[in-house]
Amino acid sequence: MIHQLFGLRRWTDCLNALALVGVSGVLWFAFLWQIIFHDLPCPLCLLQRVAFTMVGVGLMLNVCFGSRPAHYGIAILSALAGMVSSARQVLLHIAPGDAGYGMPFLGLHFYTWALIAFFLLALYLGGLLLLDGMKQTDAADTPRSPGWLGNLGIYSFLVILLVMFVATLLECGLGPCPDDPTDYLWIPGK
Amino acid sequence: MIIVLPFFTVLISAWFAWRGRRATAMGWWAVTAVIYVAWCFYHMTTPLKISL
Repeated sequence: MIHQLFGLRRWTDCLNALALVGVSGVLWFAFLWQIIFHDLPCPLCLLQRVAFTMVGVGLMLNVCFGSRPAHYGIAILSALAGMVSSARQVLLHIAPGDAGYGMPFLGLHFYTWALIAFFLLALYLGGLLLLDGMKQTDAADTPRSPGWLGNLGIYSFLVILLVMFVATLLECGLGPCPDDPTDYLWIPGK
Repeated sequence: MIIVLPFFTVLISAWFAWRGRRATAMGWWAVTAVIYVAWCFYHMTTPLKISL
């Protein structure tokens, strides 16, 4: 079976690990875009990033401890929270003549992509929750082997979390970010 | 308002998940969610220039 190739016991474990890799990929992409194009995230953009990381925590719990309804609940609630902040930003810039915030990617701004991604994540997680035949006795509080795919998701997620924490600290310091940031607050000479 | 705070708490949550502390990780996720909601109120309560 294909999930055994990834070192995982069940195919739903495989889908959870893939989703964690996907969420990490989204965060890595946003960060690299920020660095390469000097396209600094606004406060609402940062809140959307936080929501992605919160979804990632739910998926990581599934990968590390086995599927549980509480883990799916965490991921789905986080996706809904992300939909709220991204929909708010879409509505902020929806009026005709508004150029939107930041550089568009493939014709859509990042907050619009975020709204689509959160919706798809909620749909994916809801479907997975329907199909996942969880064995509650299996998924105790003891950690288990996440397989190489799970480890890829976990380590890339942990590293991007650390990187984004440092990047946000450099951009905003220990206060609120300006609505339209142009430079890093804590990088002198920038 | 410290915008970096939820990044810090979610990092702690993920760290505890990685170290095998499930309940602690879920607790820190809940702290992050509370901060997220508070920050949403701070940033998302000005009137929109549209009619709904």
